[in-house]
Amino acid sequence: MVHALEEIWRLLKPQGWLIDIHPVAEFSHIKVFQRGTVLFTIPKPETYWEDVFQAEGAIAQLVERGLFLVERVDEFDYLTYASSVGELRAHRELINAFDNTPKDEARLSQEEELYSQVEAVLHEAGEGAEVAFHERGRVARIKPVVS
Amino acid sequence: MQIREDPENNETRALLNLVDFSGADVLEIGCGDGRLTYRYAEEAAKVTAIDPFEASIIRAKQNLPVKLRDRVEFQCIAFEDFAPQNRPAMFDTVILSWAL
Repeated sequence: MVHALEEIWRLLKPQGWLIDIHPVAEFSHIKVFQRGTVLFTIPKPETYWEDVFQAEGAIAQLVERGLFLVERVDEFDYLTYASSVGELRAHRELINAFDNTPKDEARLSQEEELYSQVEAVLHEAGEGAEVAFHERGRVARIKPVVS
Repeated sequence: MQIREDPENNETRALLNLVDFSGADVLEIGCGDGRLTYRYAEEAAKVTAIDPFEASIIRAKQNLPVKLRDRVEFQCIAFEDFAPQNRPAMFDTVILSWAL
């Protein structure tokens, strides 16, 4: 990760910018909406938080070495809507294809339970209800420092 | 219903608040199916968007709006293979799109 950032530094023009967009660790929820109202919300733990912490650590390391300067950081809500739990799960699996973290039995059964709960709320709500995965994104503008 | 990602455009707004893409040579790492690429590419001079997942790049190419075809190039390649093929100081902006 540090090497990738060094390569990005090399590829950037001196007046350029690195824009880093990544999820805010330990913030993700499954929500059920109906006509703009939140009917239900439940935290959804992910397995890739460690990767997020490592990525933030790598950037901090290059800032400390004087290669980059973080100029500005902002956060935003990122929601992905689907009409069914199955549709949302299929989409999440596609997005997380990179995530090789082994999932233990306890975690898998916890996840199944979570999705069953969501499914029940969605079913009870009826027409016009939709499920959403709510993440928080962080975007940083980072300047290469050229001595 | 289809999956709808960020229909509120929160990510695009946050991105455009931070950087002006006018006339910029942009490298996007981890472009996936081009979801974010399409939202800023119109402002840029040229966008090279890379991702190691072939299925994503195929979708990105298929869905690329005609008006962006002369300025966006999608490549199925990992960054560690892409970087050594390129000279220093090539890009005005590098976007790490949920990719680190």
